[in-house]
Amino acid sequence: MAFPPAFRWLPSRATVLPKTTSLAESFTRLFSTSPMAALKSANPDKANKRKKKGGPQRSEHFIKVRTLRQNMFPPPPAPLRMARLRHLRHWTIHRAWLLFRRQQREAMEKERARMQAGMYNACEELRTVSGPGEDKGVGYLYRVAMEKKGVWGKDAVPIEYARYQTDYPGATPWNHDWKRQT
Amino acid sequence: MSRCQSVARPLARQLSRQLYRPFTTTPSISAEVTTEPPATTPSPADLDPDTVLPEFENALMKAGQMPIGSRRRRMAIRDYPDGLPFEQLPYQAFQEARKILAADREQKLAAIRAELAKIALLESRDAKDFKGGQAMKDTRIASLKRYVEVLKIQADINDPVVKKRFEDGLGDMNKPIYRYYAERRWRSYQHKLITQRIEQFNIVPDILPKFEPTADVQLYFWQQKTQPGAIIDSLVSEPPPRLNVQVFDKGERLVTIVVLDADVPNVEADGYTKKCHFVAANIPLSPTQSSIPLGKIKDENQLAVPWLPPTSQKGSPYHRIAIFVLEQDGPLDAKALKEQYANRLGKDKTSFSLKSIRDKYNLKPFGFSIFRSVWDDNTAAVMGRHGIEGADIEFRPTRVHSMKQPVKPRGWEAKRQGPKYRHLWKYTKRIKGVSNGRKWLKAGKR
Repeated sequence: MAFPPAFRWLPSRATVLPKTTSLAESFTRLFSTSPMAALKSANPDKANKRKKKGGPQRSEHFIKVRTLRQNMFPPPPAPLRMARLRHLRHWTIHRAWLLFRRQQREAMEKERARMQAGMYNACEELRTVSGPGEDKGVGYLYRVAMEKKGVWGKDAVPIEYARYQTDYPGATPWNHDWKRQT
Repeated sequence: MSRCQSVARPLARQLSRQLYRPFTTTPSISAEVTTEPPATTPSPADLDPDTVLPEFENALMKAGQMPIGSRRRRMAIRDYPDGLPFEQLPYQAFQEARKILAADREQKLAAIRAELAKIALLESRDAKDFKGGQAMKDTRIASLKRYVEVLKIQADINDPVVKKRFEDGLGDMNKPIYRYYAERRWRSYQHKLITQRIEQFNIVPDILPKFEPTADVQLYFWQQKTQPGAIIDSLVSEPPPRLNVQVFDKGERLVTIVVLDADVPNVEADGYTKKCHFVAANIPLSPTQSSIPLGKIKDENQLAVPWLPPTSQKGSPYHRIAIFVLEQDGPLDAKALKEQYANRLGKDKTSFSLKSIRDKYNLKPFGFSIFRSVWDDNTAAVMGRHGIEGADIEFRPTRVHSMKQPVKPRGWEAKRQGPKYRHLWKYTKRIKGVSNGRKWLKAGKR
């Protein structure tokens, strides 16, 4: 990844940091290798003064909080500044765009309703017709069409056929003859 | 320049003038002009850098002025000296948008035609053919007509030229779309304001039991618009105002205008009565004919009670001067009104009642405005000029004493005021704001 040269900040390290480290300096080892931090720590009196001058103390999460706030509460976009006729043209285009979207949406809704009605009518036809051959009764084709085997995958069980997972499933899933004891 | 180019130059000029792309499909003025050979002497338009033709560009540049913009733009400005019409401005998105809107308008017009055909068919059929009889026939026709009105507004609501014309105040109020825009603008602020005034000044229980304004009523004194509820100087309200009543439904109608004072002090009854200041009937009103100068109403068939300047006596609270516009269902007998309200109070001679005039003459109140009147420096002169008595009377509010018992001083200091606590007096006697050196201040004066 190549940075454009304009963004590359190459301070002359030699001017900022002393080349030869004496014994006294080696005791105050720099925590940061960045030249600005080095500059600040080089003359601590000045840095402290600056801090005191500023308003409230910044917390250690100041940068994070600022970034979060900038992203969570971005300032509103600038208002559209247009002269009258330009605004009127803008309004015309906006109205046409709304109208166009409405037309598209209504056409899609109509088409979907048509397809749904077609499927419904086909299923009704299947439900009332008696199946192929003599042995298949009325609605056989409908029942077959409603089968969901293989819809969700080769070996998958469709969710419609599932039951709640229990530790001890009953031998009979539902006792239809159960009556309240009076 | 080569010989070939110099020979072909006149031809190229001719072609370049004819082949520029027009903004419209209709032939422009310049297209007709180009059939003649190009002019050799510059016209006044050719001396203008905004409209110079290509052949005179060099001359203009030599004269020290650079031609402005493209040749295409210059030709466009030349074709339309007053500027291009707004709807023909050559912005591509704008023109595409106009195409979509025009197609939609065609659809709406076709729908209107279809609905009108349906209405005609229903009207031609006998009421016996309908399941519900005549009532169902009327209902169906009315609902179709309502739908047609909606379609009429929808056909024009996306037109920028209509919007612009309305914003310029040039809208034709006979057309439903302009009435729709006007009503929307009224509902956005003025309607809210006037309903707030009706509530604030208790117009609804005091003057009418129920009232919902449906028309915009603006009040002008001396050509100055006044805000509803403003306190008007009695000198300003001495001549009758002008009303501007904008209705939002079509058709001409006759209206009655009633101006009444809802707060006339009545000393005998220790209360207030109402008095009418102006009554006029049979005033024609339509969406386009909205101005009603009350001072110009002189016709015997219209004016029932002439204008009485609103005045309020010294010391009485502000008077609410309410202006009502009521719709008539037919012409009224102004003379009967005149006889009945000659004393400005009505037959019972105690108090004017808008409700009774509404019920008696079958009127429907639909417009309302209000201003207030208080005693001011000019009131005495106005009352003197119009023979109104009572300028020498000053009302004073009767003192109403509190029913509550006075509250004794409470607190630590109050408990230790007696001689038993002599040793604490230095703490309990001289307290700033509570006592002066001798005694405690009154509870109310603290």
